[in-house]
Amino acid sequence: MASENAVAQGDWGGGKSPFNVSYGKLMMWYFLLSDAFTFSALLISYGAIRFSSPYWADPNVAFSKMPFMGDANVPLGFVSIMTFILILSSVFVVLAVIEGHRENKAGVMKWMLGGIIGGIAFLGCQAWEWTHLISHGNNIWENHYGPQAFGMLFFLITGFHGFHVFSGICLNIWAFVNSANGEFGRRKNGYEMIEKVGLYWHFVDLVWVFVFLAFYLL
Amino acid sequence: MGGHLSDAEYKSQVRAVWKATLWLSIITIVEVVAALIWPESAPKMPLNIFFILASLLKAYFIVGEFMHVKYETRALAITILAPTIFLVWFVIAFLWEGGEWLNLREYWGVIDPNAVHAPTPADHGHGGGGHH
Repeated sequence: MASENAVAQGDWGGGKSPFNVSYGKLMMWYFLLSDAFTFSALLISYGAIRFSSPYWADPNVAFSKMPFMGDANVPLGFVSIMTFILILSSVFVVLAVIEGHRENKAGVMKWMLGGIIGGIAFLGCQAWEWTHLISHGNNIWENHYGPQAFGMLFFLITGFHGFHVFSGICLNIWAFVNSANGEFGRRKNGYEMIEKVGLYWHFVDLVWVFVFLAFYLL
Repeated sequence: MGGHLSDAEYKSQVRAVWKATLWLSIITIVEVVAALIWPESAPKMPLNIFFILASLLKAYFIVGEFMHVKYETRALAITILAPTIFLVWFVIAFLWEGGEWLNLREYWGVIDPNAVHAPTPADHGHGGGGHH
């Protein structure tokens, strides 16, 4: 039997990915898909509870304070900065992936470090935001802006997202160390691990788009 | 996928990344400006539709460019993206359900339908609105 007929006549025999990606990358994608449903469940719960409330918080009022600016009224100012920090951090990690394709160790390390610093800066901003809200009497039991559920959902969902940011930073640091000590450079698949942790990091950015939409815009 | 990039490929990839970054930034700025200048008295619906469409556009740039789906095989893109169709049902069903909870609670007098405003900052001492 001619080998070119094997596919037409028999079952697919394996050995070559129909998706043209490695097993690890495909599984990272499936994990992220499942995680997307977890976040969707949280955000849709938020929507259902919000629709069931006779009133809700006005984000322009609830999120209007900035560090070092005291009582100045800057609606959405600080959270816009946080959004830019996270986008830039994501961009740095994309650039690290591209440098990985060139097997450029110094380039990977430089951009990965940028991504890590961006992630830490984002978490620092979130820590300030939480501290400010909590020290002004807004917590999971009560808040000045809307029903109790507003505070509970805010801290639950931004906390769950923040925990993803934290674990992403840990993965990025691990990938940075393994680039620096030459581990990825020695691997047969080169810097592919940068792509996998990069996918996770971009997913964190993607989720933030919808957290931003649900809490700060709508 | 290892292998070396040619200089031309490298340059075009980096350019595509910065282009997507520029789009993400512009969309975010427009969203925030729209949120701030939208008059209090105007209906919120058109603004909210704009926010949702703009967020989906941002998601397109992140998934397509940063997560590289635009350049993957069609089969991979479908296997990742097709299951998210369930979210359409998920959103509609549960927002509908939330609205119905409100109707029921008003109907049975669990909440006062006239209490449709958030507590003002002057109400601080009373500790927010939620008493369950």
